Amino acid sequence: MKQATLVPSLLFLFFSIHSFSQQKYTLSGIITEESSNETLIGVTVAFPSLGTGVVTNEYGFYSITLPEGEYELLVSYLGFQEVVNTINLNANTKIDFKLEEAAEQLEEVVVTQNVERMDIRKPQMSVNSLSVETIKKIPVILGEADIIKSILLLPGVTNAGEGASGFNVRGGSVDQNLILLDEAIIFNSSHLFGFFSVFNPDAIKDIKLYKGGIPARYGGRVASVLDIFQKEGNSREYKINGGIGAVASRLLVEGPIKKDKAAFLIAGRASYAHLFLPLFDLDNTAYFYDLNTKLNYKLNDRNSIFLSGYFGRDVFGISDSFVNTYGNAVGNFRWNHLFSDKLFSNLSLIYSDYYYGLKLDFVGFNWNSGIKNFNLKYDLKHYLNDRLQVNYGINNVYYQFNPGKIEPSNDTSGIVEDQLTQKYANEFAAYVDLEHRVTDNLSLSYGLRFSNFMRLGQEELNVYENNSPVDFDPLLLIYQEADPIDVINPGRGGSLATFNNFEPRLSMAYTLNENSSVKASYTRLAQYLHLLSNTNSPTPLDVWTPSGPFIKPQLLDQYAFGYFKNIAGGTYSFETEVFYKDVQNRIDYIDGANLIANDAIEQVILNGEARAYGLEILFRKNEGKFQGWLAYTLSKSEQRTPGRAPFEANGQGNLETGINFGEWYNTPYDKPHDISLFASYELNKKWSINSNFVYQTGQPTNFPVGQFDFQGLTVPYFGLRNEQRLPDYNRIDISATLTPTKNKTRKMQGEWVFSIYNLYNRRNAASINFRRNQDTGVNEAVRTSIFGIVPAVTYNFKF
Amino acid sequence: MRKYLYLFILIFGLTGCEDVIEVDLETEPPRLTVDAIIRLDTSESLTTAQIKVGLSSSFFEQNQIVQVEEMMIQNLDYQPTSPLDQNFVMFTETQPGVYEGSKNTGFFTSGELSLTIRYNDALFLATTTFAPGAPFDSVTQGENTLFSGEEIEVVVAFTDNGDRENFYIFDFDFNEFLVSEDEFYQGERFIFSYFYDDLEAGDTINISILGANESFFNYMNQLIVQSGGSQGPFQTPAGTVRGNIINTTGMDNAPITDSEERATNFALGYFAVVQEFKQQLTIE
Repeated sequence: MKQATLVPSLLFLFFSIHSFSQQKYTLSGIITEESSNETLIGVTVAFPSLGTGVVTNEYGFYSITLPEGEYELLVSYLGFQEVVNTINLNANTKIDFKLEEAAEQLEEVVVTQNVERMDIRKPQMSVNSLSVETIKKIPVILGEADIIKSILLLPGVTNAGEGASGFNVRGGSVDQNLILLDEAIIFNSSHLFGFFSVFNPDAIKDIKLYKGGIPARYGGRVASVLDIFQKEGNSREYKINGGIGAVASRLLVEGPIKKDKAAFLIAGRASYAHLFLPLFDLDNTAYFYDLNTKLNYKLNDRNSIFLSGYFGRDVFGISDSFVNTYGNAVGNFRWNHLFSDKLFSNLSLIYSDYYYGLKLDFVGFNWNSGIKNFNLKYDLKHYLNDRLQVNYGINNVYYQFNPGKIEPSNDTSGIVEDQLTQKYANEFAAYVDLEHRVTDNLSLSYGLRFSNFMRLGQEELNVYENNSPVDFDPLLLIYQEADPIDVINPGRGGSLATFNNFEPRLSMAYTLNENSSVKASYTRLAQYLHLLSNTNSPTPLDVWTPSGPFIKPQLLDQYAFGYFKNIAGGTYSFETEVFYKDVQNRIDYIDGANLIANDAIEQVILNGEARAYGLEILFRKNEGKFQGWLAYTLSKSEQRTPGRAPFEANGQGNLETGINFGEWYNTPYDKPHDISLFASYELNKKWSINSNFVYQTGQPTNFPVGQFDFQGLTVPYFGLRNEQRLPDYNRIDISATLTPTKNKTRKMQGEWVFSIYNLYNRRNAASINFRRNQDTGVNEAVRTSIFGIVPAVTYNFKF
Repeated sequence: MRKYLYLFILIFGLTGCEDVIEVDLETEPPRLTVDAIIRLDTSESLTTAQIKVGLSSSFFEQNQIVQVEEMMIQNLDYQPTSPLDQNFVMFTETQPGVYEGSKNTGFFTSGELSLTIRYNDALFLATTTFAPGAPFDSVTQGENTLFSGEEIEVVVAFTDNGDRENFYIFDFDFNEFLVSEDEFYQGERFIFSYFYDDLEAGDTINISILGANESFFNYMNQLIVQSGGSQGPFQTPAGTVRGNIINTTGMDNAPITDSEERATNFALGYFAVVQEFKQQLTIE
């Protein structure tokens, strides 16, 4: 206890700006939604006369310390009715606000001048928030609202296309995004290879995507942070909502266990399209399901505890001889504790298990692999005064990686049981992060994160000559796997490699006038885990690998600068940012690298660097019957993998080729142009129409520069890596939502969503393959595209 | 084993649409291609080896046949069997693009074999050693199907040699190949199924199992993936699959070899000498 107050006190003295002649008092509390007691994240509590205010944190808590006096305060949050109040602050006061939903939320949202100034002032830049309402409006494939598909419409975010898992932020790869679900790390964000995300939109409360200017409380991935918070559960009354769709359905039930004190939430989703397959005489299955469970209990005014679980699985099967199962399971315990009305803390204990299993009966084996981790986080937020908030905390994750275990599946199988060497690691971080309003026009957010990664001992470790796991053949001029000269047994204790990094973060915002500001940020991040994948988009078979003796952590520096303007009192807004980032220790693979079930990944990778830079523009209309945004990103993402030093062999000096002869080449996710348009029109009380348009430059790929015959096969051969591109990707989706007017009076409310994905049926290429046509013997280029025009109907209900 | 994982991921990959489209491709000048996989039946005392050569071309054009000035295989470890016998065999053209040479099987089964080809004033060299295989224990027809319900299943069984690290290449006829390594079934009897798409009752298929060394295994593995067509979203980035045929023209004289130049001036194809066991099966 003393420790916790000593450090902030020192900081308080150090950063003190005013000398107080007046007594100051703290106003604090928790802001919730009236009908459910659900805490609200990001609510603004503003004091117009002082030109200051505060925003609620991830648990709905706010705290502001002001001089004694009488003030008007304004509590506002998009989609809710504003609360205007007058308080006489002459003692430390606790006010818990309960906000009611705005009845006509699209037309009557009143955004006052003061609140707008607050947003422009916040030094946060490169952040996009999306409300769940917006996510549900964005038309997507098969009518299933999807968080990952929605963030693709924001500037700086793309992905490899339909059927691709993950997303790319500012020219970063999919393994560089930190995806958090209620503070727990999620390793695979999609179901069915990318068609659906693992997040059930009904259970989500708030999402934020940080593309740059990442605060010190986050770390571990270099490109972005997708921070998702789920609903806690309605502790006032029982509620059910759900949806029935063409491919999948979902149901959410929440309600009080003890009114206003404890509540539960259970949400499930399952797909059932595979049930129709037997009609076509196909004995195959392809389905997913997931389950979200939450319990929350408010012990007293100062303590709340939350228990949550997520379980998701994808199952594919071909008859019974091939069954593939994979998914995340997460268990999470959190405890919010208020040390005082200025010091808020959250403790999280998280266990997570990502599992991948394969049963190939006709080859006679079962395979399973995965990653388990145990995470302890302790975060404190110290609301010192109305100009300074200090956040600090620690985060420790212990990992266990199972690259794969194979065992015979029946008695006659010739397979011998084998376990690829398990790997262990520990990642520790401590941070301090300050949000500081220096003057009325200048706000800073700065901090430092210290991270330490220990690759712990394991059963077997390869030893290579000259510590080089990759050989370069000077005659054939290709890289090859080197055979280990020894296999040692370091044992589980001790560490094979340790890395320490200091990650400074700095963001600043300077308001030019009431309606516009400029912001700048610098971020340094270290990433210790790498998803090794050499396909265009990751497959569930790809293995997360920790840094160690042969793989160094990725280190990033990102610089960003932006200009933000509100137009016509906030009816429109315009944001533009330029960014530059470089990453050291970006891995790439030697030609022909085989990563699946590879026990010695170090033999097929080379070390290099990557960089990305670009311009993002976002223009939004925030009010009125017609709303939406237009996002444009112009960017370049490239990497370089030079040969290692020249060497002597066969009495001759030699130069290694590296990849593409050590020149900069396109990363597989370089998309120079990315345009996204989202438009939403409220036609009348019954109908609303939404549409989106997406255009992206085609993905880098490799086309053959020739072909030859070998053993009866026609074999294409290729030139430099990633030099060609697939055709450009574009499509338009539309949807119309019908809310019957009779609804308002009935207990059960429903709406129909009619959607059409890819309206003009463009066959966007997911890949182009070159092969010989078996029937005609002629060589041809074959484009595989996933979805043409797909209409869908979904019925959503709640009661 | 890895091959199965690839194969089955690609089946799942997608039920997307496929269309033939026009693509503009860059081309390179044609390269020499050498198909020098010599399959040995070690029960025969005399082997006639066949090597095919050609020129590569742009993807949409036809490959051309080519003539080489000289082709021979030398084995410096070979002990000649008679005063007239020598430690090399010359290859002569028997059909356009096809060269043959005969020698006793013992010449090929031990020692280091070097293939040299002189073409257009350039000298190409490849070396290899004999890779033993394992005979089939059985090849029978099964009754299971895979994806569409119309496939024909063939069940293959063989026993791995537990004394060494083995790599196998299966030739399932119709230019269909599969590769496997004994990492997970060392010394055991291994049984697996292969599924054919377009076979009818009465068709006869010829299946072979070839031994391979690791380098040939890697080469065939990549070749199968690259020539196999649609792999859906799990496409591995393509790279030129380098065989083991080096252009050694002028190499003795260069003090520092210019990697970039030599890396772009190579021949395509592979030279390997492997043991083959064949089996024939008639579909019912």
